[in-house]
Amino acid sequence: MSSTAVTFPRQGSTFAPLADEKKDGHVRAHAIQTVNASADALYQLWRREEFVPLWMEGVVSITRTGDRTSHWVMSDPGTGKQFEFDSEIIDDEPGQHLSMCVIEGMGKGSTDDITFEPHPSGRGTVVTLISDFVMPGGVVGNAVAAVVSRSPRQMTIENLRHLKQLAESGEIPRVEGQPHGKRGVMGRWKEFMLGETNPTPPGTSEREQRQDYPKQNELGDKREVA
Amino acid sequence: MKAVCWTGTGKMEVQTVKDPEILNPHDAIIRITRTAICGSDLHLYDGYIPTMETGDIVGHEFMGIVEEVGSEVKNLQRGDRIVVPFTISCGNCFFCKKQLWSLCDNTNPNAHVAEKMYGYSGSALFGYSHIYGGYAGGQAQYARVPFADVGPLKIESDIPDEKVLFLSDIFPTGYQAAVQADIEPGDTVAVWGCGPVGLFTIASAYMLGASNVIAIDRFPERLALARDYCGATVIDYSQDDVSVIEALRDLTHGIGPDSCVDAVGMEAHGTDVVAAYDKVKQALMMETDRPYVLRQAIQAVRKGGTLSIPGVYGGAIDKVNFGAAFGKGINMKMGQTDMQKYLRPLLQRIEDGQLDPTFLISHRIGIEQAPEMYKVWRDKEQHVTKIVIDPWQDRIAA
Ligand SMILES: NC(=O)c1ccc[n+]([C@@H]2O[C@H](COP(=O)([O-])OP(=O)(O)OC[C@H]3O[C@@H](n4cnc5c(N)ncnc54)[C@H](O)[C@@H]3O)[C@@H](O)[C@H]2O)c1
Ligand SMILES: [Zn+2]
Ligand SMILES: [Zn+2]
Repeated sequence: MSSTAVTFPRQGSTFAPLADEKKDGHVRAHAIQTVNASADALYQLWRREEFVPLWMEGVVSITRTGDRTSHWVMSDPGTGKQFEFDSEIIDDEPGQHLSMCVIEGMGKGSTDDITFEPHPSGRGTVVTLISDFVMPGGVVGNAVAAVVSRSPRQMTIENLRHLKQLAESGEIPRVEGQPHGKRGVMGRWKEFMLGETNPTPPGTSEREQRQDYPKQNELGDKREVA
Repeated sequence: MKAVCWTGTGKMEVQTVKDPEILNPHDAIIRITRTAICGSDLHLYDGYIPTMETGDIVGHEFMGIVEEVGSEVKNLQRGDRIVVPFTISCGNCFFCKKQLWSLCDNTNPNAHVAEKMYGYSGSALFGYSHIYGGYAGGQAQYARVPFADVGPLKIESDIPDEKVLFLSDIFPTGYQAAVQADIEPGDTVAVWGCGPVGLFTIASAYMLGASNVIAIDRFPERLALARDYCGATVIDYSQDDVSVIEALRDLTHGIGPDSCVDAVGMEAHGTDVVAAYDKVKQALMMETDRPYVLRQAIQAVRKGGTLSIPGVYGGAIDKVNFGAAFGKGINMKMGQTDMQKYLRPLLQRIEDGQLDPTFLISHRIGIEQAPEMYKVWRDKEQHVTKIVIDPWQDRIAA
């Protein structure tokens, strides 16, 4: 028997949970995805205002108003009501980290914090999104909002999912606009309950296209076909 | 176009709906030439898959001619003849890259629903409820095929549709069931269910080197196909003096089958008190699945053997002797089929004449006959073994 001790590849550590909480009129939520794309491509999709409406839910328009500031018009998927705010980038490390804050308008004080890190064993880029929503109606208002549209937590998860889908597969999967038979009352109710009445962001859909889509090479890894 | 729509438990209707259009750049629209009804469709028909919506177009086994392609589809063009696998896969995620095509990350628009029920979402499927994406299915005259550059298999030869149609699901599914049974030369494999999936599993088990396959069912025409066409030793479990577990012990010289395949799934038919209990609980929605075959297979398999489960389960099951599985140290493999992995090799086997998949077709019908034939298919009347639909004919005389 050899007496050489095992060499462990890393130091042990203790799990520290990411924020998910509701208090003082704030809702904090997080989402995490490993994406088979480069950190730079993902960062660009988030940093460049013209790309964001392709994958983020409920964006009507984003207008650049300064180097680090922009004006957002959003539409609530549940009610169709529009609201606006101004956003400022408060930290920007290309390909690594982005942090933004709502400086004026709806949800003033809300922040998004996004990190891009290489996956430890090479599965792509780990994107972590932590959103802190200042709820205009307080946390109770949020509970009502969650019934008519998406809860902030689900919205955080869905937005990051759409980003991943677009970056990895070159589109966002959609069934809106496909044929079906007569839905009837029950069918429509279920459609609503499953969140299918929330509009899917356009991704690269030609029918839904509003702006120029990033060139394939800007998205990094090219899709391969088996 | 005409399409077969689910309108509630036990109800299918042919309705006229709008034609599908290209929605995304990797889409194709095909004109369907042949489509089939699957055992999986019965779980929808019988109301055991929870997220169906009135008006959903069903069907996931289909093939046809490409009419139109989206801007990013470079490997197909109008006029190509393709078989469409029932799983929808993006081709570029971690899972697709690992050939786990049925577990694709990027094709289910309703992934959040699946995540709530299963923790994570698998790939989307055609015509198979909204937890699996809510995509319109292929028992229709046209279909939209997402990721048409990744999924479909182009048929270059003039081989008839019927010979390649089952590459859309049941042949690869039976084949994967045999692969997952981990067969070694000399092994005996027991297969529950001699429906299309079971029959293809039997044939595939022999292709992969099994020396004996034992097949279990109760319908004479299905047992006959298993015995006479696929070379299985068959057990009719409905006979009074037959205990499946004892029969399997006797047929394996006291050892038990090396691998057991559950090609029946959540709606297994049972003959004893526990089966009645399952039926009542399932009807009351206290248990979503009737794991009758699963229980038997766990009991029957030899020590250290393998259980392969192509039969579909949807949710919670009851009274499964997990202690037996543990005590005997068995392996279990299961899941939707990773279709794209098997399409080309199996097409090759068909073109080489190793197997003519048309052997199990019992009914060829027009689209207007689909609703009545769902009932026949469910009740296994008229010696039905597989139904193929020509969506461009209303009715075909028997
Ligand atoms: N994993 C996949 O990707 C996949 C793909 C296709 C089908 N499936 C599933 O495979 C299963 C079989 O499909 P199919 O098209 O062959 O269906 P089918 O309904 O034609 O066949 C099922 C067979 O099982 C038999 N059976 C019922 N109870 C039994 C019992 N207690 N013991 C032995 N046999 C019994 C029936 O008599 C019938 O012949 C279904 O659950 C289907 O959903 C899975
Ligand atoms: Zn099927
Ligand atoms: Zn994929």
